[in-house]
Amino acid sequence: MSAILAERHDEIEALAKRYPGRRSIMLPLLWMVQEKEGWVSQEAMAEVANVVGCTTAEVYEVVSFYTMFQQKPVGKYHIGLCDTLSCAICGAFEIQHYLHEKHGIEVGKVTGDGLFSLELVECIGACSVAPALLLNEDLHGNLTPKSLDALIGACKYGH
Amino acid sequence: MSAYADFEKVLLPNIEKDETEWIDAYGHYEAAQKALEMEPDAIIGVIKDSGLRGRGGAGFPTGMKWSFLPKGVFPRYLAVNADESEPGTCKDRPLMEQRPHLLVEGIICALRAIQGEEAWIYIRGEYYKAAKVLNKAVQEAYDKGYLGDNAFGKGVRCHITVHRGAGAYICGEETALLTSLEGYRGYPKLKPPFPAVTGFYAKPTIINNVETIIDTGIILKRGAEWFKGMVHERTTGMRLYSVSGHVKKPGVYELPPTVTLKQLIYDVCGGIRGDRKLKFVIPGGSSVPWLKPDQIDIPLSHEGVAAAGSMLGSSAVMVMDETVPAPWALANLSHFYRHESCGQCTPCREGSAWMHKILQRICAGQGTMDDLETLKSIAGEGKPGSGMISGKSICALGDAAAWPVGSALIQFWDEFVDAVKKGAPIAPPRFWMADGEFVYDEAPVMAGAH
Ligand SMILES: Cc1cc2nc3c(=O)[nH]c(=O)nc-3n(C[C@H](O)[C@H](O)[C@H](O)COP(=O)(O)O)c2cc1C
Ligand code: SF4
Ligand code: FES
Repeated sequence: MSAILAERHDEIEALAKRYPGRRSIMLPLLWMVQEKEGWVSQEAMAEVANVVGCTTAEVYEVVSFYTMFQQKPVGKYHIGLCDTLSCAICGAFEIQHYLHEKHGIEVGKVTGDGLFSLELVECIGACSVAPALLLNEDLHGNLTPKSLDALIGACKYGH
Repeated sequence: MSAYADFEKVLLPNIEKDETEWIDAYGHYEAAQKALEMEPDAIIGVIKDSGLRGRGGAGFPTGMKWSFLPKGVFPRYLAVNADESEPGTCKDRPLMEQRPHLLVEGIICALRAIQGEEAWIYIRGEYYKAAKVLNKAVQEAYDKGYLGDNAFGKGVRCHITVHRGAGAYICGEETALLTSLEGYRGYPKLKPPFPAVTGFYAKPTIINNVETIIDTGIILKRGAEWFKGMVHERTTGMRLYSVSGHVKKPGVYELPPTVTLKQLIYDVCGGIRGDRKLKFVIPGGSSVPWLKPDQIDIPLSHEGVAAAGSMLGSSAVMVMDETVPAPWALANLSHFYRHESCGQCTPCREGSAWMHKILQRICAGQGTMDDLETLKSIAGEGKPGSGMISGKSICALGDAAAWPVGSALIQFWDEFVDAVKKGAPIAPPRFWMADGEFVYDEAPVMAGAH
């Protein structure tokens, strides 16, 4: 566990020099952790605190403020479905129901096989291609039940 | 062709191709080279002359903002606001994904103008692709010697770091952006002092939107006179309008401020889906007052939209057809503000939560006339300073939560009263799905509210 940041030591020290104060590497470090582990554990927070030079409580304070930092493990494919107005009036809730009914993917839960998890998120800056979602790092817009089947299928059975 | 279509697109001329323009295709950074030959004050003069106003929401004159930097105080920093989180707004993302070098070049110009050496691009965490593109573009510029300790061999220091946020609308507010960039929760700070005086690590800092920074580079290249060629009253230059909702062709469109809201909806975007009736428009991102169909024959300039009682904001136009119940749309937006309030000030934290709870109750068919009066007293009349939140909190998120509610109650009062009197659950029609596609035109009302 304690090796997440250690193996990127040089990169981190170079990054710290790009800011007037060391504390600014807080978010970048948390991203490094999440990229590696998929979420941010208590142990990881302690490690970040160590590298930043602050207390674990201060790191937790930050982690709990930002919605993208996951405090428990998520699916291999984590879906952030936008339900803000432009998406909501273009079918976001139908997409949500379809994910549940057809694919068994439910808000706030990880599927039994560990493949998928779903979260409703606020506007993801894709309003003109509503309804839209983020599947891990990739944005998908103009969703329809059909395009969703293709997307989920590609995750399940490879491309 | 109507007059609005005659202007050259300089920001996203090939948006539909969705390709990234890398440095060799982009060119030699003539604007940046020119900027490095100019006196900083001369650059500020050109920007002032161009009439450029911030594209992030408030529309503050950019040249004036830059001239607020205290004389002789160094270092000075630049933070580029790429947090783009105002619902409806989706223009900075294609700008950064497709034309990253416009931004890098704009930053070099802006740094010269404010006599700064370091810039940070604060980009929202959800924009994975744009962040990757920017990182690569910045590296390309370093490799060419356009950035570094000796940019263009002219002995100037010029550094850019891409910094990712992690999901918080409030970090788009300029003081919260800086707090976040310093590694803390994104809490806004009371102004004054303004960031131009006390900003990033307490040093003078300029914060500008992505599109604003890009415009500065383009203005240096093409001249203030050219920029002023696209003008309505005190709004100049081409800008990106994000259009979403019930139009036939939603998208991001580059247009002059003389284009009217009506032209944008009915000509540029092909009218309302299914040829239904327009119900209302949110013209400047979710935080601004709503407009009804008889208010849309207005130029999309700051002055044009203000005259109709709303704001141009981030020029994000959200279009609702007749199937959208006003209380339901409002409940959706108040959920957003409740969720995004940072919680520092009581009026905003409690007010946004209560407005959402009341609207949820109304949508569940359990609202009362007292609820409507309470809503009105919290939200005020959709104007600065009215109600219990606006003007009474640290940052403008409080106002942004209140204005839509205040204006919707005025615009659709009868519908709210009706909803309360009927006492039935409210939801827009569900989409009819046939063969895996949404069918919009015939959407029947299906059972069950969300
Ligand atoms: C709650 C809130 C959210 C904001 N979000 C953004 C944003 O996502 N992007 C942005 O450019 N400006 C945003 N702003 C405006 C910024 O505070 C600031 O005015 C702007 O970045 C200044 O740049 P400009 O003058 O170039 O527009 C927001 C303001 C508030 C109050
Ligand atoms: S107005 Fe709202 S978002 Fe802004 S500082 Fe106060 S509580 Fe936070
Ligand atoms: S409202 Fe869904 S992406 Fe903006």
